[in-house]
Amino acid sequence: MDVIGNEEAKTAFVDWLNNKRGTKKAVLLYGPPGVGKTTLVNAAAGEFGLKVIEMNASDARSEKAINRVAGPATAFVALDTFSTESKGSILFMDEVDGIAGNEDRGGVSAILKIIENSRIPVIMAANDPDLDKLRPLKKVSALIRFHLVRIPLIISLLQKVCQREHIAAEFEALERIAENSSGDVRSAINDLQSLGETTKTLTLQDTVMLKARNRDISMDETLRGYFSAKSLLEASMLLSRSNVDYDDFLMAVGDNLPLRYPDPADLAKAYDFVSRADMYKGRIGTENWHLLRYFYNSLAEAAATSPESYKPFTLISPPIRVITLFWTKGKRTMLDGICAKIGHLCHVSHASAKMDFIPFIKVMMARNKADGVMSWFGLQPAEVEFLANMTRF
Amino acid sequence: MATNEESVMWVEKYRPKKLDEVVDLKDIVTSLKAFMRNPKTMPHLLLAGIPGTGKTTVALCIARELFGQNWKTFTLELNASDERGIDTVRERVKDFSRYSRAAFGNVPFALIILDESDQMTGPAQTALRRIMETSSRTSRFILICNQSGKIIEPIQSRCAIFRFSKLDRQAMIEQLCCIAKNEKVSLDNEAAERIVDYAEGDLRHAINALQTASAYREGVVDEKTVSQVIGEASPIQVQLMIRKALNGEFVEARKMMYDLIGSYGFSGSEIVRQMQRELFKMSTLSPEQKADLADVIGEYDYRLTQGANSDIQLSALLAQFAKVGKAKGETC
Amino acid sequence: MVVLNKKAFKLPRVEKDKFILLLRLGLDYDRVQGTFCVKSYNNIEKLTDTIATILNADEVTFAQTCAICDRNFPCSECKYLDLCATKNLPFQCVCPQCLKDGKTFKETG
Repeated sequence: MDVIGNEEAKTAFVDWLNNKRGTKKAVLLYGPPGVGKTTLVNAAAGEFGLKVIEMNASDARSEKAINRVAGPATAFVALDTFSTESKGSILFMDEVDGIAGNEDRGGVSAILKIIENSRIPVIMAANDPDLDKLRPLKKVSALIRFHLVRIPLIISLLQKVCQREHIAAEFEALERIAENSSGDVRSAINDLQSLGETTKTLTLQDTVMLKARNRDISMDETLRGYFSAKSLLEASMLLSRSNVDYDDFLMAVGDNLPLRYPDPADLAKAYDFVSRADMYKGRIGTENWHLLRYFYNSLAEAAATSPESYKPFTLISPPIRVITLFWTKGKRTMLDGICAKIGHLCHVSHASAKMDFIPFIKVMMARNKADGVMSWFGLQPAEVEFLANMTRF
Repeated sequence: MATNEESVMWVEKYRPKKLDEVVDLKDIVTSLKAFMRNPKTMPHLLLAGIPGTGKTTVALCIARELFGQNWKTFTLELNASDERGIDTVRERVKDFSRYSRAAFGNVPFALIILDESDQMTGPAQTALRRIMETSSRTSRFILICNQSGKIIEPIQSRCAIFRFSKLDRQAMIEQLCCIAKNEKVSLDNEAAERIVDYAEGDLRHAINALQTASAYREGVVDEKTVSQVIGEASPIQVQLMIRKALNGEFVEARKMMYDLIGSYGFSGSEIVRQMQRELFKMSTLSPEQKADLADVIGEYDYRLTQGANSDIQLSALLAQFAKVGKAKGETC
Repeated sequence: MVVLNKKAFKLPRVEKDKFILLLRLGLDYDRVQGTFCVKSYNNIEKLTDTIATILNADEVTFAQTCAICDRNFPCSECKYLDLCATKNLPFQCVCPQCLKDGKTFKETG
């Protein structure tokens, strides 16, 4: 099997498949992303002639889920060794930590149920096995650990890919890619392909865009690189390599965009891209990571809107968003309560109470002329104090 | 110690209780009175128009005239933007129909007033239509909205539609003076004009502004105090924010947006909704301009539901406004 | 730093409890040869710590096996030692020689 790195895991997995490892019918493959968990499952299935049934979070909870793994059609046909049909099926659930990570207790119990009822082997993969919520799954599964793949192995792998794809690459270039991948084979191969695929050659110079995927790239550095990027590719690679918090970064971009694009038409266009990026981010949530690509692309477009117009400018570092910190759930509930009282007596909606009445009431309060109104609305002392303290930021 | 009677909000204290008292709506009132002479013939009603033009007042007057002193027993007031969805609306209507005594005198129905019905989505309105149908034996609906175009056709066709237009300037001034006199506040003409300018046809805003201004100096409201109120109280922030954006003052507009979020805890959708309302009222924009801008708002209203960061979406929205403003080449 | 061959290494005689612990931590014992080999890597950290105590060494690790030429070699021979993301597992790598020669994995099925 052409799976490199994590040899021990491969052996353990194959042993498990061949039932040499005892009675657990489920296995949990865990480890960092991009090190070959999914590849191994598919390679093993190919080698042993197994059919892979894939299932994700929402599938797992559907009514049909259990039937797919426990119904008569899945019965293991053992005797017909001459059949060209696959000997059996296996169930594969990728990124189960995403399912469990979603305050989604329903997800974990659905999976447990599937494991319990399944007549076929159940394979799960996770990036972060330490999530407390995965404990029920870990109890019923064999555990196989995957590790970050080492640089020499990655280099060797890249060499192989170059051979296969007829890319002439300098050793130092491959070294650089491997070093920058931080053990993630998938990203190393992606980098190789995106850098070398079109020209079929790769020099060390070409890899200069790769910034080390390390925890130290600060917000400032990322912002600087982002705004001065000369191409879409440069911007999107920078984004995918940086470890800044994406929400913070979006805010920072939002703050700096007017400085970068003084022309209103350019600004509108750039902001439109940032807004799209924000939408993708919203859709990603915590599990749809395959949409990340679109997030990067949209955001990169905002940087590349009109590259000729770039003039270096002083970056604004995002201020701490006190505003969002201030409006806690408790405060919102309090405000809603006040608006409900006003709305009820004045026959307006809560939003209208907030927008059309509270500003006036506050001014009256400031001039000590609001006592009667407060009592007419039936506001409690806590609510009165709250209103009094709502200030400008 | 001021008594309760005196301390009430003036918008409520001086809200007309009889249809005849309603400011400046003679035609509408005449038609309605015809219905109420013979309640059995009264259909569902749809009252449409910009905010502060008397729709809620008229609905409440109808309730009073039909049911007299205990009108509250026979009237259910709902606000679509406050209910969590069509299901809660259905529940409340059902409960109300069950427990209200459905007949009072020669009025064979109870009244359900649903405010801001244009905030309901298409599917919710379809469900509403069904609710209206199943309860039509025992209830009549008075739907209130800003834009009748947002009410689906099947509902419109089942209602008698009344359109409320921006109040006449003079009528508004008269109303303000009347209130001022009752409250023993001297209101000079310039101040009254200023308030009416500011209110852009919304009588509720005007009365609130008047009451707030009277808090500045005992018994006197002059132009100076009105300016102070406008400066300090400004629900007008949203309108100002729109104007700044259209004028190309993007950074200032964005700062105001943050202010709204920070000072008043508005959510992105609430700000967008207000922008729609204020856009409507702005007299310095042509209908075509308003339509274009309304489209832009609509697009970002949708994006707010998809995105993760309100201020990104709102900033992008303001940026689009700045672009439109520059293209039109006008200042407002 | 003591480097052991994971396929076969010897340890001084230990008491029954320790022996059982070693087996539980993932070792197998060949009575004929008198050598241990690593069967399971799930508890590798605890395993190396325990062996270190037994051998009275600062640190114990196992040699890498080259995936291409099958030679056993220690991490100290590798120029990327400082950049290495994972110092212990897995125990398969590519030896400096093969890397230099540009030898790659045989194309398997």
